[in-house]
Amino acid sequence: MNGAHDLGGMHGLGPINAEPDEPVFHEEWERRMFGLFIATFAGGHFNVDQFRHAIERMNPAHYLESPYYEHWLHSCETLLVEAGAISRKELDARVAKLEKEAK
Amino acid sequence: MSVLKAEMVETLVKTGASCRVDAKVAPRFRCGERVVVRNINPLHHTRLPRYVRGKRGTVERDRGVFVFPDTNAHGHDHKPQHVYSVRFTGRELWGPQASERDVLYLDLWDDYMDPA
Amino acid sequence: MVHPRHNAPLSDTALRVKALESLLIEKGLIDPQALDALVDTYENKIGPHNGARVVARAWTDPAYKQRLLEDATLAIAELGYTGVQGEDMVVVENSPEVHNMVVCTLCSCYPWPTLGLPPNWYKSAPYRSRAVIDPRGVLHEFGVTVPDTTEVRVWDSNAELRYLVLPMRPEGTEEMSEDELAGLVTRDSMIGTGLPKTRAVGGPAKADSQRRRK
Repeated sequence: MNGAHDLGGMHGLGPINAEPDEPVFHEEWERRMFGLFIATFAGGHFNVDQFRHAIERMNPAHYLESPYYEHWLHSCETLLVEAGAISRKELDARVAKLEKEAK
Repeated sequence: MSVLKAEMVETLVKTGASCRVDAKVAPRFRCGERVVVRNINPLHHTRLPRYVRGKRGTVERDRGVFVFPDTNAHGHDHKPQHVYSVRFTGRELWGPQASERDVLYLDLWDDYMDPA
Repeated sequence: MVHPRHNAPLSDTALRVKALESLLIEKGLIDPQALDALVDTYENKIGPHNGARVVARAWTDPAYKQRLLEDATLAIAELGYTGVQGEDMVVVENSPEVHNMVVCTLCSCYPWPTLGLPPNWYKSAPYRSRAVIDPRGVLHEFGVTVPDTTEVRVWDSNAELRYLVLPMRPEGTEEMSEDELAGLVTRDSMIGTGLPKTRAVGGPAKADSQRRRK
């Protein structure tokens, strides 16, 4: 699809700003998300092309503005819900529960 | 569906999951052949970037037979076909303002190209 | 392991990741210890030091270099670097005539077994958009100047081949051991956005103590 991910040749996206001595993961949630993707992929819930396409289906503004591993979160949530392994309702309920517990 | 256990991680990491397919599929193109990239604009998944569609290049290397992502993303049809490293000049892609010396290589499946 | 600041609220994203993980564990779909093992592998074990060994071997062993250029997957496997996101490798050689640079404009494809996980800049919009249309501008931003007479060759990894750049061996390194040479090979030099360290700069602090005296 002609999505926002198809970036080759676009202008105006800013300087590269390479971070010196960048850590492999910047946040704990990135570590967990990395592991979640590999585990669910290895578990056979989706293939790599489905995984990429689910990222391509993100809202374009969200895609461009979100940190990298948030793309993986979006894709895994989408595919696992579409596969019927989890439901949106369950996810939302669990987020609400965790939010409450954190207060 | 299976569950990845900790003791399986090392083997998984070292083995991976190649998308190469062991199938006898005839290539559509030969090395050195001039090709024109198809101007397709599918709503579905593709690995054909917009910037190369309709452009002319040269097939430089046949990389072998691989799963076709455009179909694999939407079902389980692997449609195995050849993938080639295809060379494009910067000027072909970006116009006369581009450096005359620089080139770009993309890996293109049989279904992405026609003979020029 | 980095611990979050005590009492710092979890961001929305962090909460969603936690929610997803906890649900999948409850449903018996994932094993959290497998996640721990995966994180440990890619955070602490696999990294560009692997690719540096491949490069150093190619610099010192012409027969190995030949094998590397003919069938990179097999040659890299000789050193034990195989697997996820490195199943189908291609090594591209820099020379005075050609400077290679690798990008994935569509997402973030990168040779994990030899380079580890990619840095943020490689996966972000500025590099992905500009590498193909203005490679010399990108190189300039990285502090690399390539002569006008050198062809800049950009490889967009849009399929499942994964590319590793074999940089040119720096001048005056004939006396260096393979280990010392590996210490000159930077991650960016294997992506094509950098050059190896030179003999004058020397290897990393770790190698200094091991440097043999003539």
